[in-house]
Amino acid sequence: QRARSQNIVPCTVSQLLAAEQVDETFRIHDVEISQVTIMGIVRHAEKAPTNILYKVDDMTAAPMDVRQWVDTDEAGGENVVVPPGTYVKVAGHLRSFQNKKSLVAFKIMPLENMNEFTTHILEIVNAHMILRKTHMSASRVPQSFSSAGMSDMGSYGGGGSLPVNGLTAHQSQVLNLIKNCPVPEGMSLQELKLQLHHMSMSTIKQAVEFLSSEGHIYSTVDDDHYKSTDAD
Amino acid sequence: MGDVHEVARPRIATSHLAQHIGKPVCFVGRVEKIHPTGKFFVLSDGEGKHTTVELSEPLDEEISGILEVVGRVTNQATIMCMSYVQFREDKSPFDLELYNEALKIIHEFPEYFPFG
Repeated sequence: QRARSQNIVPCTVSQLLAAEQVDETFRIHDVEISQVTIMGIVRHAEKAPTNILYKVDDMTAAPMDVRQWVDTDEAGGENVVVPPGTYVKVAGHLRSFQNKKSLVAFKIMPLENMNEFTTHILEIVNAHMILRKTHMSASRVPQSFSSAGMSDMGSYGGGGSLPVNGLTAHQSQVLNLIKNCPVPEGMSLQELKLQLHHMSMSTIKQAVEFLSSEGHIYSTVDDDHYKSTDAD
Repeated sequence: MGDVHEVARPRIATSHLAQHIGKPVCFVGRVEKIHPTGKFFVLSDGEGKHTTVELSEPLDEEISGILEVVGRVTNQATIMCMSYVQFREDKSPFDLELYNEALKIIHEFPEYFPFG
């Protein structure tokens, strides 16, 4: 029974290097993975016209190549090169070319709080333990790996402050609407407000900002439209 | 800055030094003392245990707070530093004790946090 991870898996560079490749897919503990996060220090940054190439080092192996495509329509601003010596969180897709693994990042963010690094270490152990058990029991893979292994508490009405599977109820509702939107340019903030009448615009915006920083969604035509990073 | 950055460098605490003699490691600790020559300094880990870090060239800047050192463990169980970085604490202080707990976990589960 082949299991596929539907979410973003926190990994070490060493785990990515050891991932098995079969055709276009990668597997860790025999579970297919695609979107991953790593955290490490930028050792090198090189800006080219269409992309920025970083080497990110998390001490588990040699630094990994991380490529971030630059939006050439963007007038300056968006893609500022992160300087070497900065600790970053990278969300992206694993790629392999001529037997060399690299990441194509859709998000690179400097860490402002180094305690996030400690949390990331713990999340990696937790996520990979779950991946291993998932493969062995062939059961459903949980929604998100950012929680401390809490079991699914089912639907949860109102409030929205207690995290279930790493996302609060508000964040889950916003994410689900975005995921199920069939329109190419994704879901707009206005659409979300229409559908989630119990949530204020500022709550929706906070949820969108969180989901975006975790790599669950990305903006498309402008900052008001979002699509899910989960390709189905 | 040399080959040590191209290989796995296990994250260790002071109590692990003896098992890593001669090997590349990564040590995170709080600056406790700096020798007047600037050629070595002492870091404390999350359990309060001290490790001496040696430099091949004297320090050319002030160091304080939390440092992450990459280097090789000497026969005397000190660390010969190849590079270091200061953890930013401008927004939040770094919880070194929590980091030490995380180290215990990754040492207990190397299959889920492999070095190399």
